[in-house]
Amino acid sequence: MKARKRERRRSAKPAGERYVFRLFVAGNESNSSQARGNLARLCEEHIKGRYKIEAVDVLKDAAAAHKNNVLVTPTLILIEPLPKVTILGNLNDTRQVLAALRLTGDKG
Amino acid sequence: MSDQKPLYGELETKMKEAEELIHALRTQQVDAIVGERHVMLVRLKQAEENLKSSRNQLRALATYLLSVRESERTVIARELHDEFGQALTSLQLGLSWISRKLTPEQRPLQEKIRSLSATTTSLIRSVKNIASELRPGVLDELGLIKTLKSDAREFEGHTGIQCRFRTNTAKAKFDRSAAVAIFRIVQAALTNVARHARASRALITLMKEKNGVILTVTDNGKGISRKRLYSHESLGITGMRERALALGGTFTLGGSRSKGTMLTVRIPLSRVIVRTPSSSLHASLRSPGSR
Repeated sequence: MKARKRERRRSAKPAGERYVFRLFVAGNESNSSQARGNLARLCEEHIKGRYKIEAVDVLKDAAAAHKNNVLVTPTLILIEPLPKVTILGNLNDTRQVLAALRLTGDKG
Repeated sequence: MSDQKPLYGELETKMKEAEELIHALRTQQVDAIVGERHVMLVRLKQAEENLKSSRNQLRALATYLLSVRESERTVIARELHDEFGQALTSLQLGLSWISRKLTPEQRPLQEKIRSLSATTTSLIRSVKNIASELRPGVLDELGLIKTLKSDAREFEGHTGIQCRFRTNTAKAKFDRSAAVAIFRIVQAALTNVARHARASRALITLMKEKNGVILTVTDNGKGISRKRLYSHESLGITGMRERALALGGTFTLGGSRSKGTMLTVRIPLSRVIVRTPSSSLHASLRSPGSR
């Protein structure tokens, strides 16, 4: 009985903090596509069901990039939880990205 | 003091951001730069790959063109020597036959034939020179080293510029295409010395070292300007460079007003020397039939 309760508690959403990302990309350029794929994979593996990704294509909306002080693409901004984190590049280095996003201990 | 703390913090953050930006740019992880009004796409990786690929294509084309030119030269030289040279020799023989048949009374005709014969001799010499320029027969007959030696002598004779040749590979047997390439490079380098260097001395060296063969052509002239060195109009230099690169070698050319010009070509040993005297000695010692 106790075990069933524990199980129910674990699967209840949201189990941890909620993550909101804003990813600035340039259309389907190589690094931008890689960043999109890498971020989606990392989120699915580490914070499944607890994340939201807002992708901004600077080729369509350069003003949004300017407003967020984004100089280059791809740029990832962790909006929530605070403090804000900004990561530049294609997010290929999983270990570094997880550390920067404070997700090293999180899985699922 | 307390006012400076947030300032330092801000500065540190900015520095960190700048470092990250530099890292992203350096590792080619950036594909667009966002400005106030425009977005500029950066396709460094793609541009680099395209550049590399077209450079390789150009090199392959240059190598192919060089080989085509060399074989065409061989054909033209042979045609000139065999066909035109033979025809001129027959003409000369015919003229001397006619000359022998003429009587003393036909003196004006005799004179005319002598003059025609002299013209024919001069034509034969010209054809020989052109054929030899196109495809130096001596390169096949005497080998690279003796050809370069004779080239240096001839160059000195024609230009009055003292020219010496030194080597430590006198008895090595050179690969045919490498020998042609080295010969053509020396030819082009000496042409440049005669045309542009205003030198009084030139030195050609061909030295065998542990990993390769090093060819140098130096002079004591006025050097070469950077502009001419990298100009796409310097076809002679481009040709020499392409010949060296086609053999897997390197090509450097430099110089100054005080030191003159120095050309250096390094070619891997495996692409140049077919047989050295020591290796042929080993071969003959191993061979049971050898004496």
